[in-house]
Amino acid sequence: MVFTTAINFVRSRGPDEFWRKRKIFKLAAAFLGRRRNCYSIAIRNVHRALVYATKGRKLKKMDFANLWQTRITAGCEQHDIDYSVFRESLVRSNILLNRKTLADLACWEPFTFKALTEVAQKRAVDEGITVVKDRGIVAVHKRGSQKKN
Amino acid sequence: MSNSHIFLKSGFITTPSQNGVGRYVCQLQRVVLKFCKNHGSSRGMRDFIESGLVDFAKNNPGIVVYLKPRRHRTAVISAEFLNGDKQWINCRNFTKEEITKWLSLLRTQSGDKTGFRLRKLLHTDHPSIQGPWTPYTFKDPSENLVKYPNKELSQSKKLEKTATEQLIELFNRSNLENKRTD
Repeated sequence: MVFTTAINFVRSRGPDEFWRKRKIFKLAAAFLGRRRNCYSIAIRNVHRALVYATKGRKLKKMDFANLWQTRITAGCEQHDIDYSVFRESLVRSNILLNRKTLADLACWEPFTFKALTEVAQKRAVDEGITVVKDRGIVAVHKRGSQKKN
Repeated sequence: MSNSHIFLKSGFITTPSQNGVGRYVCQLQRVVLKFCKNHGSSRGMRDFIESGLVDFAKNNPGIVVYLKPRRHRTAVISAEFLNGDKQWINCRNFTKEEITKWLSLLRTQSGDKTGFRLRKLLHTDHPSIQGPWTPYTFKDPSENLVKYPNKELSQSKKLEKTATEQLIELFNRSNLENKRTD
């Protein structure tokens, strides 16, 4: 006997389920335990992983910028100049180096970095760039008209 | 996406035994061009074989080029390198310019780099010319001969005036003012 109605009770959601789930399992390959083998658990963790990855892209840039800034500040402190004064003076001297290169110079080419601090010091003295202590910013005290008496 | 959990092999850029520093040896050993004589998807490959193949072979005497006409199969470039890597590139519906580009990529590669993640896009054997920073780089060498305890070097770094000094200053200033008024 042929039972044609029984087949209608099979609830198949489509032929592509295997590949749909495989996409998720590929991303979950390195997870622990059921998180890599059971779909409903895996999908939750994969979504979280993707969110972390998105957030992490920005954080990575921030982390590195912070690291470089710390290193430059350390180099500046050794040569008696403030970090913000240093950067402002370099910009005004048309030396447009970013934090990455400055940090690399401070670590690997310390004498070049020293020369940069000296350039910055001279420019800071010329233009009156100092640190306003309470606000912590670089304030420029422009000299009044230099009267030659 | 972060790469630490991925099962890709990763490493730094290297050249096999400092290739190029002294002598340059082309790392591509042989190249097999498979194509169909009839099918349209191999047209670019056939055009390349007609026009650019002989020049490629002449310019690269160290690379052995094989041609394999295979009926009812897509056009494929299969490459073998000196370190034993094998790589194949599907050339279905490629133009002859694309095939030229892929061949020049294979020619300049040192192995199959498809499953390989480069951790840094740079490499130097000499990252520092002036010498890397050490805590002793900007220290006066006479500090080596100092006998401790040393009173001068043990003093704290004076960043601000102490309260005592400020009071003394105020006192002296007021003294001076008093003297002026007198």
